[in-house]
Amino acid sequence: MKFTITREKLQEGLVAVAASVPTKTTLPVLSNILVEAVPDGIRLSGTDLDIAVSTLVPAEVDAEGAVTLPAKKLVEIVRELPSAAVRLTAASEQRVSLECGRSRFKLLGIPRDEFPSFPPVRFENAWTAASGDLQKLIGHVAFAASTEESRPILNGVLWELRKDQMRMVATNGHRLARMDVPASGGRQAADFIVPPKALEQIRRLFGAADEIQIAKSENHLGFRSGQTYVYTRLIEGPYPNYEQVIPRDNDRVAVVDKQALAATLRRVGVVASDQTHRVRLAFSGGTLKFTVSTPDLGEANDEMAASYDGEPLEIGFNANYLLEILKFMPTDDVRITMKAPERAATLEPSGWDDPASYLCLVMPLRLVD
Amino acid sequence: MARIRILPDAVADQIAAGEVVERPASVVKELVENALDAGASDVLVELGGGGRTRIRVTDDGAGMDREDAVLAVDRHATSKIRQAADLIGVATYGFRGEALPAIASISHFTVETTPRGTPEDGTRLAVKGGRLEDVGSASRQPGTTVTVERLFFNTPARRKFLRAARTETRAAVEAVTVLALARLDVAFRLESDGRVLLDAPQAADIRERVRQLFGAEVADQLIEVHWRAGPLSVAGLVQRPADASPTGRRAYLFVNGRPFRDPFLIRAAEAGFRGAIAPGARPTVLLALALPGDQVDVNVHPAKLEVRFRDRFFVERTVEAAVRSALRPLAAAAVIGGGLGELGGQAARGADVSPGTAGTAVPLSFFAPEAGSPLVATAPRRPLLQVFDTFVLAETPDGVAIIDQHSAHERVLYERAMAELQRGDAPAQRLLLPLTVRLAPDELDAVDAHRTELARVGYAVEPFGGDAVILHTVPNPHPRFDAGRCFQELASDLARGRFGEAHTRLERFAATFACRAAVKAGDRLEPAELQELLERLFACNLPPHDVHGRPTIVQLPRAEIERRFRRG
Ligand SMILES: Nc1ncnc2c1ncn2[C@@H]1O[C@H](COP(=O)(O)OP(=O)(O)OP(=O)(O)O)[C@@H](O)[C@H]1O
Ligand SMILES: [Mg+2]
Repeated sequence: MKFTITREKLQEGLVAVAASVPTKTTLPVLSNILVEAVPDGIRLSGTDLDIAVSTLVPAEVDAEGAVTLPAKKLVEIVRELPSAAVRLTAASEQRVSLECGRSRFKLLGIPRDEFPSFPPVRFENAWTAASGDLQKLIGHVAFAASTEESRPILNGVLWELRKDQMRMVATNGHRLARMDVPASGGRQAADFIVPPKALEQIRRLFGAADEIQIAKSENHLGFRSGQTYVYTRLIEGPYPNYEQVIPRDNDRVAVVDKQALAATLRRVGVVASDQTHRVRLAFSGGTLKFTVSTPDLGEANDEMAASYDGEPLEIGFNANYLLEILKFMPTDDVRITMKAPERAATLEPSGWDDPASYLCLVMPLRLVD
Repeated sequence: MARIRILPDAVADQIAAGEVVERPASVVKELVENALDAGASDVLVELGGGGRTRIRVTDDGAGMDREDAVLAVDRHATSKIRQAADLIGVATYGFRGEALPAIASISHFTVETTPRGTPEDGTRLAVKGGRLEDVGSASRQPGTTVTVERLFFNTPARRKFLRAARTETRAAVEAVTVLALARLDVAFRLESDGRVLLDAPQAADIRERVRQLFGAEVADQLIEVHWRAGPLSVAGLVQRPADASPTGRRAYLFVNGRPFRDPFLIRAAEAGFRGAIAPGARPTVLLALALPGDQVDVNVHPAKLEVRFRDRFFVERTVEAAVRSALRPLAAAAVIGGGLGELGGQAARGADVSPGTAGTAVPLSFFAPEAGSPLVATAPRRPLLQVFDTFVLAETPDGVAIIDQHSAHERVLYERAMAELQRGDAPAQRLLLPLTVRLAPDELDAVDAHRTELARVGYAVEPFGGDAVILHTVPNPHPRFDAGRCFQELASDLARGRFGEAHTRLERFAATFACRAAVKAGDRLEPAELQELLERLFACNLPPHDVHGRPTIVQLPRAEIERRFRRG
């Protein structure tokens, strides 16, 4: 194997792939990047067995072949190289030399046979989606997925592809996020449960203007745009029936200023002792009152204006859940709907000038008087 | 010293009467107490044949003149009280005027004594079976030697009850040990048939005394107690919970310098260990109480082995609180490399307990008088470092604290669960998608039986038919918490009676919940999580010990590190 490549192109390819290389692994070859010299350039690939990323960068290939090289060292070396042509030569699979200007490196590789092969995903009948739409969905929904091992399905993000729209939903059973974006393309309906880690790669790798092709094999999903591919394991469904738990008859509606709500929650939250950060909200007339009381620590009271004309209502929440959701709300005002202290509340953008629709849901905490 | 007088009958009748001398050890106890009352600073006890053939106690105390020496062997002859009112807050070990006549009546008894100040005035006095045989002159240093030979020679029935010489010797050593613990300012030595069994020069503090009497290993396992509540102060040493075992413990109690027995008070001291010690483990405790003389009656037991407190409940509560407070500071954490003396001492010395506080004349100073920092467990300073994804290292004022993340979190959650179980106000997160959990039949029973406790920590459980239950709310104590898994493990533990030995049902439940809800060994924690864990740990009542009596913190003293590097 022998090829010449600009430092910039090599750097670009490595940056794309390196993030998929695990920092800690028991399988040494996974710390390496697979470098394949093919007729139209070099293909760089990395994987942690759950997710794989692969990209092709242009290079002048003199002799085809493949080696795997330690990702961390390779990235560090290339980062420090001067802006000049880089020449890579593999005398054998294990002995690789890298030259750039007057710098020379000898690197030890691991035979490519040990590198796991990628899932066979065929892109012939692929779905397509605008990268910008996907980024928007991922950016507003993925945060809500669970990390509990006992409910692996909730560790994933549900992605529904429909004829004229795409939707993502994620929940940890305490709070939920859902977003719809209209999408043209008359595609075939499909549901996937995707690990958030994979979605993060997609958000990172593809430009907002790109068109992404999506294809499925047995239990893997492949994403492709240009010469860059992402493969991920899918989580086995079915996803719980979330529609059923999204309240439709919440008749108490408040509209509040997002910044003010977040600031007040943070302020009173200082006195909340434990991770649950219990805060009691009392909606009544034009005001929203906050109470936090923690045995052995103290109490905090605060209030702010809110447009609310329903029956007075007191409801408890984990302040962290509210704060987290507020971070993702795209508008200055948020619309909160409620029914009763033990029922789910929803938060939505208020006056959002966007074709997408966004809804978050949060379950209350039990209040003890 | 005051002159000896015979107590009037009216006074003598008010003194707890009964058998004074049961065995050689009783004789040793009475004679050593007399030596201490006489202001001795050096006491030598010599035994022959386990005390059967001979007991001799030599002191360098005030001594007696001839007239007093003759009176001393009469019943109710004492220099220590004059009237019944003197019994209140009596500061001497003796007050009955009973011991010498009782001993002299059942042995061949000899006193040689020389008063301080008039060294030419030595007296020798011999009594056999209570009959004065001889009074003459003797020449010796100021002080007193009492020799008791052929104990029980005229009471064969009592003699028959004596145990093997070894056993009697052990009891005599114990009698001296107790008094040596009470009086650090006096040098004690005990020889049995020429062999030295106890040798304790004056000690600077109680830890040094313990080292002399029981060895360095025992001394290093003890942590200091300093506590005061109203008129009562408690000082002493208790064993680190992790070092306590079901056997071999020692328990000593003193009030105003006087040893006494009180199993209930020992129980109260043990209660201070609750939730921090392995079930069945018995910690060593040495506690000295000081309180005004009118609050405690020492005249209730013929051999003065027991006392009566005016407000017993208060005393028990205070002792429990004293022990608990001692387990709290970082100094109570286990130490690598020994040499705890300095570390424990400096970190946890209270200024509270000084010998004079309760107005007693029996000097009792367990600790050197200089004051130290108050009893607080300060959270270690940064930086924090997680190692093996299991332990947290932190710098403390005296060294490096090594913290077990699971045990520490368990302690935090245990104390919180106990509070929540009592208040019933744990934050319970309602679930969007209720969790269905399948359980084995015995687990279902256990869940049924603990429904109230489960609800109080945040699990609202409802039967779901068959072998399943449904959870509508769950606790959410930390971001890594896995409610479903915790519940399953909890059900299994409750069904299998894990932690079954814990004290009460609530403690058992809280311990089980804490164990299952805590972060595990192997969880990699973020720096902010490490910081928060330590802050919460040090806000606990008993940071250094976990619920099972294992340490949560092990200290690596700076001195030990320096020693290893041969620095200074
Ligand atoms: N070793 C000693 N040195 C000096 N005086 C002593 C010594 N032993 C006894 N005495 C004197 O003899 C008296 C009688 O001693 P004895 O032990 O019989 O009675 P007590 O100590 O007064 O009371 P108790 O019976 O409670 O011990 C003491 O009050 C004390 O004055
Ligand atoms: Mg006496």
